[in-house]
Amino acid sequence: MAARALTKGLCRFRPALSGQHFVTASSVSLPQTQQDDVSDQILKLPLEKPDFFRVSELFSLKDLFDARVHLGHKNTCRHRLMEPYLYGCRLDHDIIDLDQTMEHLQLALNFTAHVAYRGGVILFVSRRRQFCHLVETTAKECGEYAHTRYWKGGLLTNADIQLGQWVRLPDLIIFLSTLNNVFQQHVAVRDAAKMNIPTVAVVDSNCNPSLVTYPVPGNDDTPVAMELYCRLFKMTINRGKDKRKQMELLRGLSAPSESR
Amino acid sequence: MAALCRLRFCVRSSYSSIRTSFSSDSADRPRSGFAAAFEQQTELRREAESSSAGLSGASSGQNESFGSLLRRSAFIQMGPAKDRVVVGRIFHVVQDDLYIDFGGKFHCVCRRPESGGEKLQRGSRVRLRLQDLELTARFLGAKTDTTLLEARAVLLGPMESRDSRDPRTGTETVREPQNRVVDQKPEEQNQKVLD
Repeated sequence: MAARALTKGLCRFRPALSGQHFVTASSVSLPQTQQDDVSDQILKLPLEKPDFFRVSELFSLKDLFDARVHLGHKNTCRHRLMEPYLYGCRLDHDIIDLDQTMEHLQLALNFTAHVAYRGGVILFVSRRRQFCHLVETTAKECGEYAHTRYWKGGLLTNADIQLGQWVRLPDLIIFLSTLNNVFQQHVAVRDAAKMNIPTVAVVDSNCNPSLVTYPVPGNDDTPVAMELYCRLFKMTINRGKDKRKQMELLRGLSAPSESR
Repeated sequence: MAALCRLRFCVRSSYSSIRTSFSSDSADRPRSGFAAAFEQQTELRREAESSSAGLSGASSGQNESFGSLLRRSAFIQMGPAKDRVVVGRIFHVVQDDLYIDFGGKFHCVCRRPESGGEKLQRGSRVRLRLQDLELTARFLGAKTDTTLLEARAVLLGPMESRDSRDPRTGTETVREPQNRVVDQKPEEQNQKVLD
């Protein structure tokens, strides 16, 4: 149907070599434009409001505080680039500024919800063995993917050969910890930046936030904090997907009735 | 000295277990001048808080800023962690190793004591003396410290089930989000803040 419209458009612009005039394209049949309009509307409507999915209602400062999100490592473990996100240092322990965390978390959850709304593939990555099971169950419960094992070298950059041709790469990668088992930055952070895949990452005071698209400064070592993040991501992804189903149902009901 | 006293009273007024000790102290010695006026003001404030607690218990917590939440948290109030007695809860057991969470960033791992060790299972509360909240060390040639992702504490023993119930709700919370610094004696608490 799109091809038909395209050829009609081409016919219009073909130079009249033989002198014959060609009939201008008749108006495209009504149901097709309606469908395109409907799908356009479904995709554009969430972009009009800043917080369409109301993700800021899912968490509060008190929740973050009670989950010990503000506790950072010792100041000797601090990464230089995390200094803007720190509130201060108390007796050699870094304290992460929760006001900044609130803003960053809201942006990250909003982005995640939009990606889920548009049917994007989301990959959870974490190399912490303590939380490997939690991350995998979170991914399963929201119908997305998780990779919490050893990351083979070219998984993203050499995907055509390693995973097979025409493999769909993730549209968003969520890191629940950006460090691997030897306290170096996870290879996937760099590879996702190379492959133009946006990333959301929880960055602790010893992590490098520079390559991450939506960094969320916060504690990634305490089980309470990890459970909070997993719960928040699961709820936002489910919200995004449910909203999409709801919009399709609403518009799907209205579109055929308009074409009649 | 007056400023220190004021800080002490403000900080401790939020802990319900200390209210009884303060009221007993004030009843014993008659106060005058600034002390009397201050006591009156703190009591008025306490009454106001208790009356509004029923109305807006949750919302007052929501409006607090991060700075004030932090200032009143046990982590800041505790001061240096060395030799501080806290209460922890065992969340994992591997034969003789007990993994204990005491409300800090990391857990600590302690060996099961020979005497009375069988009573300590998953979920039991224990008393610990903290040595370090995070074990880190700088190795030669490294840019940053290497961390063990663990705290170090000495296991003092199980928490005796006294009246450790919350007087307001009447229930004992199993998992508390913050450090629970054990109150040894009412007089010693006052000494602790001044130190």
